[in-house]
Amino acid sequence: MEKTIIIQRYNPEQDQAPSAKRYQVPFDHSTSVLDALLYIQQQLDPTLAFRWSCRMAICGSCGVMVNKIPKLGCKTFLRDYPAELTISALDHFPIEKDLISDMAVFLDHLQAVKPYLINDSQNTEPHRQTPAQLKKYQKFSSCINCGLCYAACPQFGLNPEFLGPAAIVTAQRYNLDSRDQGKAQRMPQLNGKNGVWACTFVGFCADVCPKQLDPAAAVNQGKVASATDMLISIFKP
Amino acid sequence: MPDSAGARRPYLQPLSRSWWLKHSFFLRYMLREATVLPLLFFCGCLLAGLYSLSQGESQYQSWLAFMAQPWVIALNALVLLASLYHAKTFFELFPRVMPLLPAPLMIAGQWLGTLLVALFLLWLFGAIG
Amino acid sequence: MNQPKRSDEPIWWALFSAGGVCFAMVIPGLVLTLGLLYPLGLLPEAAFSYSRVQQLLQSFWGLAGLAFAGAAICLPLFHAMHRVHHGLHDLKLAKGPLAKVLCYGLASLLSAVAIVYSGIIA
Repeated sequence: MEKTIIIQRYNPEQDQAPSAKRYQVPFDHSTSVLDALLYIQQQLDPTLAFRWSCRMAICGSCGVMVNKIPKLGCKTFLRDYPAELTISALDHFPIEKDLISDMAVFLDHLQAVKPYLINDSQNTEPHRQTPAQLKKYQKFSSCINCGLCYAACPQFGLNPEFLGPAAIVTAQRYNLDSRDQGKAQRMPQLNGKNGVWACTFVGFCADVCPKQLDPAAAVNQGKVASATDMLISIFKP
Repeated sequence: MPDSAGARRPYLQPLSRSWWLKHSFFLRYMLREATVLPLLFFCGCLLAGLYSLSQGESQYQSWLAFMAQPWVIALNALVLLASLYHAKTFFELFPRVMPLLPAPLMIAGQWLGTLLVALFLLWLFGAIG
Repeated sequence: MNQPKRSDEPIWWALFSAGGVCFAMVIPGLVLTLGLLYPLGLLPEAAFSYSRVQQLLQSFWGLAGLAFAGAAICLPLFHAMHRVHHGLHDLKLAKGPLAKVLCYGLASLLSAVAIVYSGIIA
């Protein structure tokens, strides 16, 4: 059994814009999109460029658009698609070559929210955390930085300065952590017009997230946090 | 041969104005956003009604006659549909923004609110009770 | 990244949210009775008579009229103009301060008119 894979190819040394190329790929019940790309690269066209590493939805590097929906190649199976499927690089990011995007904007935004525990206390004791304290941020802590939510977000497509879903999820993840004291340093980024307020709750990020951590909810809970922060700033000069 | 830095020529496809036609998820989003257009019409009607009320009985009667025109009734049927679609989306988003109680409970509670207001208005204007 | 300026969006978002609640909970019943059933003759003739409606809006020292203006006109208007404002950005039709001033300015102006007339009736 074979399926037709149409790939948007782009060679920066030759092409003005991406163009479609068709490949016939054999498949069975367990063939993933990543398997298909590896087959094409190894058997049909060694010039095909794409990123991958773990093959088990942990590393977050094989994100591509499959029929215009952002997907992890390793977690998406040919069996679920009709005879033809179209694969292209993630939307809203500059394409370096073929399926490889330049993720620098996303990484800059992630860095801007200080995605690490900030705690100045010199306490060398273990920071104990109750199950209730863990539960507050745990659902937002499984982000693998694959960038699918950015490819799903039209607000990021319209305004690349928008911090975006994953960065705001991560800011919320640390803000809600009982061991963290860095909220005051992170809120100014969320409070700006390119922070939580650039979101209009399209909600597609939550649909495409391979870890189902509902980035849209995190961003909109961030709006409540930002509005509260504004109220506090008014009453506390 | 160009050097490696010179060979870098990233391609960025700017988002087209018609991005929301790309698939059904975005279409449903735009439909949700567009529910405010019928709402604006209804707010305009209410504002005109309030104004006519302050101008005396004959003005108010002609406003009631305007509200009974077939095209106005048709648009108001659209307002009702838009408000219900808005309610469905709004009620489902609320528990995600403020997760106070289990989501199904919060959604049911909000629909109950809509129902109670509608029943109160039906009672007030004499259709029931 | 530099520290960005605090956005004033929380104000418009709060009004949008309050208006969204009104649009979802008050408007369905109101448009059903006033916009559909009454014009179709399915409610008693006197239900929306001049004296009845005036009396209703004047009840509770005119607070009923103010509540009506707020819940059925002002807040829904802010809800609608917030979505129009973001919709203009979504459709790449307008961005920047002018669209914002026009959208929220219109909502504020019409809200003021609604409140003034509800006061005149009371």
